Amino acid sequence: MIDKRLFKLNGIISRLFTLTIMTGIQGLAILIQGITLASAIVNCWQGKPIKNALIAICIFAIAFIIRQLLVVIKNQFMSAYADNAVEIFRRQLLAKYTALGSTLTVEQGTGNAVTMLGVGLDNVKNYFQLLLIKLFDLAIIPWIILLYIFYIKWEQGLFLLLIFPVIIMFFIILGLAAQSKADAEFANFKNLNNRFVDALRGLPTLKQLGLADIYGGEIYNISEDYRKTTMRTLRIAMTSTFALDFFTTLSIAVVAVFLGFDLLDGHMTLFPALATLILAPEYFLPLRNFSDDYHATLNGKNALTDVLEMIDQPEMINKNSLNLESWSPNSQLSFKNINFSYDTQNVLKDITTSIHGYQKIAIVGESGSGKSTLLNLIAGFLQPTSGSIRINEQSLDHLAQKDWQKQFFYMPQQPYIFHDTLKHNISFYAPDATDEAIKKAVIQAGLSDLVSELKLGLETVIGESGRQVSGGQAQRIALARLLLDSKRKILLFDEPTAHLDIETEYDLKQTMTPIMSSRLVFFATHRLHWLDQMDYVLVMQKGEIVEVGEPRTLISNKNSRLNQLRYHLRGEK
Amino acid sequence: MTNLKALLKNDRWIVPFLKNQHKGLLWSIILSFMTIFAAAGLMFISGYLISRAAQRPDNILLIYVPIVLTRGFGIARPIFRYAQRLVSHNWVLQFVSESRRRLYERVASSASKIRSKLQTGEVLSLLADDLDQLQNLYLRTLFPLGAGLVLYLVVIIGIGIFSWQFAIWWLIMLTVIMIIVPVISLLTNRSRIQRQKHLQAKLYADATDAILGLQDWISSGRQDDLVAHQGRAMKELARVKNKSMQFGWWRDFLIQLLALLLVITTLFWANSVFKNNQMAINYIAAFTLAILPLVESFTAVNQGVSEASFYEDSITRLNALPELVDKEPLEQQINGTDLKLINVTFSYDHKTVIDNLSLTVQKGEKIALLGRSGSGKTTLLKLITGDIKPDLGSITIGEQPINKLQNQLSKIVAILDQQSYLFDTTILNNVKMGNINASDDQVKQAINQAGLQPLIDSLPMGYQTQMQEAGKRFSGGEQQRFALARVLLQDSPIVILDEPTVSLDPKTEHEVLSKIFEVLKNRTIIWVTHHLTGIESVDHVYFLKNGQFSLADTPKQLKQNSEHFKQLLAMDDFQ
Repeated sequence: MIDKRLFKLNGIISRLFTLTIMTGIQGLAILIQGITLASAIVNCWQGKPIKNALIAICIFAIAFIIRQLLVVIKNQFMSAYADNAVEIFRRQLLAKYTALGSTLTVEQGTGNAVTMLGVGLDNVKNYFQLLLIKLFDLAIIPWIILLYIFYIKWEQGLFLLLIFPVIIMFFIILGLAAQSKADAEFANFKNLNNRFVDALRGLPTLKQLGLADIYGGEIYNISEDYRKTTMRTLRIAMTSTFALDFFTTLSIAVVAVFLGFDLLDGHMTLFPALATLILAPEYFLPLRNFSDDYHATLNGKNALTDVLEMIDQPEMINKNSLNLESWSPNSQLSFKNINFSYDTQNVLKDITTSIHGYQKIAIVGESGSGKSTLLNLIAGFLQPTSGSIRINEQSLDHLAQKDWQKQFFYMPQQPYIFHDTLKHNISFYAPDATDEAIKKAVIQAGLSDLVSELKLGLETVIGESGRQVSGGQAQRIALARLLLDSKRKILLFDEPTAHLDIETEYDLKQTMTPIMSSRLVFFATHRLHWLDQMDYVLVMQKGEIVEVGEPRTLISNKNSRLNQLRYHLRGEK
Repeated sequence: MTNLKALLKNDRWIVPFLKNQHKGLLWSIILSFMTIFAAAGLMFISGYLISRAAQRPDNILLIYVPIVLTRGFGIARPIFRYAQRLVSHNWVLQFVSESRRRLYERVASSASKIRSKLQTGEVLSLLADDLDQLQNLYLRTLFPLGAGLVLYLVVIIGIGIFSWQFAIWWLIMLTVIMIIVPVISLLTNRSRIQRQKHLQAKLYADATDAILGLQDWISSGRQDDLVAHQGRAMKELARVKNKSMQFGWWRDFLIQLLALLLVITTLFWANSVFKNNQMAINYIAAFTLAILPLVESFTAVNQGVSEASFYEDSITRLNALPELVDKEPLEQQINGTDLKLINVTFSYDHKTVIDNLSLTVQKGEKIALLGRSGSGKTTLLKLITGDIKPDLGSITIGEQPINKLQNQLSKIVAILDQQSYLFDTTILNNVKMGNINASDDQVKQAINQAGLQPLIDSLPMGYQTQMQEAGKRFSGGEQQRFALARVLLQDSPIVILDEPTVSLDPKTEHEVLSKIFEVLKNRTIIWVTHHLTGIESVDHVYFLKNGQFSLADTPKQLKQNSEHFKQLLAMDDFQ
């Protein structure tokens, strides 16, 4: 229930210590509350005037209020700690995310990484805030009560003590049975639930096929199957709570009946019997509260484990080995025998090449030939498995270097558009840019039409839930980002125009060409018309560079690999 | 408050279902009440039992009935609770089945055949989530509330039997606990919940920005900004949530205090009523002890009601769905399959998207449609398929207006788009959806024609392979071929190709395109494409700009006469 790493957290020990003391006081208050209520009732039962019981009633009320007050105080106390802990985790997580960079999304998946920041941290908060309280209640309160019952009548105490593990055992055994049943039906569950969403998402296709109308009945049948499967599982899943419920209430009934017999035989008087009866439900209450949130506890614990594991992930080392002020016409980058494997598959083989100054290098090849992988290696998103990299006589293990990242601008097929204003999207790389500079970048990147079309102009919110921009506009926004950050002298393009319509591609090329001058450019593409802007071309095939040269020279040679690729892409043999 | 009233008044999703399925609802509430009743009964009767036993009656038979009742209530409570949970879940899932069908029918009646750029899928998942949300409205709010109100009645009547004055005292207290406090907390929490939902959405957007834009945050060296940016929404959300929690904690505290008041006053009352009677004196313990188990129900009602406004958005969204409209059942006779658009104009949001456009596509003719995004391509296709109606002008197929052909359109027009959906069933069933009356042999022939035979032969399960598992294994090109097989089987004279190869690599694109034009050679084709690969296969090329054709001719003529076309053509290769 408790991860050992929990105890290493800052300030947790003193928090839990205070929590223990407060829970202890609460336990005593519950005890006093039960005893005084019993004595007040007994007083009345004996036919004595009620004013004799006034003190007991007052103490009862005070104990009752203290107990309820402590509930609120404990919640506040742990909630403050939870907020604090979650904030620390959030900072650590984001720091780790940025340190891991794109390897994060490759290994964790985008969805998981987003979930951990949202729902994951929420569950962790719950864990600290609610579940630790319930856990400590369970660990302290029943035993204070039990001690008292033992003191009054050891037989009843023994009974309540022995029934406790029995209840937990049944709860666990039936819980496991339910789990295995749920596991067995899991595939079925997921299938049925998905099919509803499946039908909704496939609705345009159903309409196209003229099947949309008759599918409604199918949806109903699927949902009914889902209901039946769910009910089968629930019938078993609920037995574990049933068992808990059954044993606790029955125990109270059994205690009451036994107390009745003891009273009948004169072994006992009413006061201790009544006190025992009032305290018996309190004895089981923490267990019932805890089991109600059992699944939330598991979620919270798992979320905490995930977060702690993520924070402990190893980072890339030697990120500061490169010392590079700025990439100049004399700078040089060379690869020697670079290999890269992914899942034991050799994606890049024996890459050796050397680049200098403001050359424009095209990387061409069929899809799957390793163009993007090579580009990712240059950007430092991936580390080579073996081989050596040199920049200006400095030897490096990889290019995830702080000084290297300041030099280049990477343009993917679909640049990410933040959910923010157009202005902030454009000035993302240069948040301090003046309005003048932004206007200039807008014109240069060919965004003037978009800006004048929008009522709010640069202040329009774009991205996911704002105004959607087209693929071509997204590319232009990325170009504007680059234009505002003039220090970056290296451009990495990964198929920036392949998915655009041809007229947009044509227009974009006119915009991009002047931007590429006096910069080092790596351009991975299968749109070969870009070659007219390039100084060199690297032809790739199955992870290897199979040909290097100037585009014009290669094209004039009928048997060059570049020409083979051209025929191939045109669908000719 | 007025909003809430309006919401309930115009509701078509919650209230009608409650009326139709009142039996299960009734049982659920009764069982829920019985659970609380048994819990209170157990304490009542055992309090009586031990008081009576303490008087040491001569004969055990005198306390026999309370003993049996004690055991009975002890067993009854968990059984009622178990039954209640099963009944209520079953009922709620019935609601889900019924609502899913309704939701589907409503969405289906207004859905379009042409996929839009906007993520309709997201909207639909949102609606599906709304239904899941409503389950909680029943389980957490309506059932406890119903049971609470029954308890309210029974308790007051029960006490009224002994004393009407004291029953009035309970009436006042229970009205405060079960009605006044819940209503106050509903109203107080409402704006807080709206704010909380808004912040939660913002937090999700921020997290997405953080992860999907991670590379940009790192490259730009703005890691610290990322941490700060992310933190603001989270802090604000924590603040709002804490406020509602604080409210909840103190509200529960108040309810406990009121319960305390009830315990003490009941003790005094019981003392005054029963103290002079040797037998009745045992009821003092019984009445006093029975109050504490009721608190559970008090807090459940309060929590449920204050959460209720969580579901407001979901209900509003569902109610906003259009009602079903009856369609013309008759099939129209068509005269040939020529497609004619005459002076068609369509505006959206004060912007003319299609501007006085005319177009004739004869039987068997193949045309290509090009244009920048926003030029009106998608709108034109929606007009042709009758998804939307033109403001001016007419659109006919075989001399029949398109809106009269909606019932039989799938027999006349087939559509192959960029993400033709493959359903979670077998390959055979998926293709068969093109024509559900086709024989298995016809289906297999269509699959073969689409060039998928080698693939089928390589699968251990062959035609019976499940798509869902296989979907991941099948490449984009293979998926489009399956969709093509479906279109082949549909056997309609006109085929619309809506960028069917946009996500494929050039080599596969060539293969798929040549397959498409090979197997559809006898049909009319309207092909929306984003570049000029395969353009020589069509008879006419149309360039759409601002809702009009800026360029239209045969590919051969365009190649000779149009500079623009030549420039674009050069983009497909390096010479």
